[in-house]
Amino acid sequence: MHFFNSGLFWFLEGIFACLTMIGLKIWMEDCRIPMPFWKWLLFVIWVFFFGFTIAFVGTNLGEKEQNAALLGGTIFGLISIITAVGLWRILKIGKK
Amino acid sequence: MNRRQFLKATGAASAVVGSLGLGFYGYEAGKDPESYTGWETHEGAHQTFNRKRYASDHPHYIKVGPTNRPDARTEVIFYRRGDFMRNWKDDAGIGGLPEHLRVYYQQHPDVLEQDLYHLKEVFPKMREDYRKYRNKFILASAWSNAMGAVSPTPINQPPEESDFPRRSRFGEQTEPLKMKNPLKTSKLIKKIAHELGSTLVGIAKLNPDWVYLYPMRGRGFEPDKPLNIPEHWKFAIVVGTPMSWDPMYANPNFGTSNDAYSRSRIIAFRLASYIKQLGYPARPHTPGTSYDLMVPPVAIDAGLGEQGRHGVMITPELGCNIRPAVVTTNLPLVPDKPIDIGVQSFCNTCKICAENCPSGAIPFGDRVEVRGYLRYKIDTAKCHTFWNQNLGNMGCRICIAVCPYTRKANWLHKAALNISANDPTGISHSVLTGLQKRFYPGPNPQKYYSPSFGGENASYRKPPWWLRAEDFIEF
Repeated sequence: MHFFNSGLFWFLEGIFACLTMIGLKIWMEDCRIPMPFWKWLLFVIWVFFFGFTIAFVGTNLGEKEQNAALLGGTIFGLISIITAVGLWRILKIGKK
Repeated sequence: MNRRQFLKATGAASAVVGSLGLGFYGYEAGKDPESYTGWETHEGAHQTFNRKRYASDHPHYIKVGPTNRPDARTEVIFYRRGDFMRNWKDDAGIGGLPEHLRVYYQQHPDVLEQDLYHLKEVFPKMREDYRKYRNKFILASAWSNAMGAVSPTPINQPPEESDFPRRSRFGEQTEPLKMKNPLKTSKLIKKIAHELGSTLVGIAKLNPDWVYLYPMRGRGFEPDKPLNIPEHWKFAIVVGTPMSWDPMYANPNFGTSNDAYSRSRIIAFRLASYIKQLGYPARPHTPGTSYDLMVPPVAIDAGLGEQGRHGVMITPELGCNIRPAVVTTNLPLVPDKPIDIGVQSFCNTCKICAENCPSGAIPFGDRVEVRGYLRYKIDTAKCHTFWNQNLGNMGCRICIAVCPYTRKANWLHKAALNISANDPTGISHSVLTGLQKRFYPGPNPQKYYSPSFGGENASYRKPPWWLRAEDFIEF
């Protein structure tokens, strides 16, 4: 079993996720942006999509499918960037 | 709750979750069959798909007319063409052929045309191409021949002689042991099949329509006499293993069927021996040509998968990358149910195999009646002709390599499979087909041919490093 396929890896990923959420929360507090549950939900959905993009590229590179990695990375990456801009605008709603 | 309290609570929760995670990680590490170094049978761990959820009361193929059993002498292309090539004389024409071939070609003149083309045009060009271009594929050939080098002694006796246990053979009971419960016996047999190395295993009640009416030569039956199905061929246990994945993706020139053929063959013979040691008759039906029955429909009945457009069975775990074998027996068993994972609907939309088939053997149209059943009909003559128009190890297998179901079992392709299997609308089938075509394209099918036939010896994907002869051998 490889490290990146192991329970320890996902455990560490979980720690990183927690720290990310904590950091985002503190950052939003410093920016005086309220974060109700629906903003967190949108953020989590975006993180899943962005994570899917990274994992898609990695998986196809691992399968030696460079075409799929490049094309998928480009398409899903662009979608991630565009939606990130949109998400930031939504998150800023209610800024004091 | 203020920030400090939140952070403290988060920390405490993380500590609990993290500790639990370590515990589960340890448990999995202890249980993992992959850690049985040198004896990693996986213990059936790769037969992961929850088939119960997709079980159907009847297989997907539909009976639309009177059925009849296939004639191996004409329907099995190796036998037909072998007979044809041995007996064809230009001056005698069709009249000089054995009766069963004469009748067959009179009913199928297009097939005669194909078989003549194969004999007169393809073979001479194939020999020339082998001479000129073979070196590049020499390691692939060595791998293929090595995998086929170990083979059980073929069965060349009729069922009444070879299927039954004999006291003279070590361990074999002559009286059947009284098994407690067919369900428990089925579970035992599946466990043994997995322990013997089978990736997938299923059980079916044998449908007589799948047994050859006129059998293959060399299986111990009287030639040119109909096969009476023995009473003890009650159940069919289907085992199967995949071809090695990286060579498989480098078909037609670097792949082989021999790796999976050999593994499935050995498993089937061992399983038959095991069953005989319980005192029950058992007969293996194994690849490449040692069958008394057609294996794919038996495997479909056993719930392992569905037939795809290319005629090959598609399984949830391996796609169509599986080479099955069958053991027939009357050991009391409980048959599995066939499954419906949306393949019929997907294949209606997809057609990637038909678009990529160099010989045009795979239909773009709907299913047609074949011996009373509605199914996709492959032009086996065109298919087999292409086998000798490329430099690969006896075969093509491009339809297997390009099929969207034949992907490695990682999160990405498993997610696609689950979406497709659970989508009654078919919308995901169109989307997934489009993604497959954009993300995983292949060469123009004409390029797969060898140069004498206008091709470039292309393969679907580059071969793995260990099959690249030019990296290891001075030519």
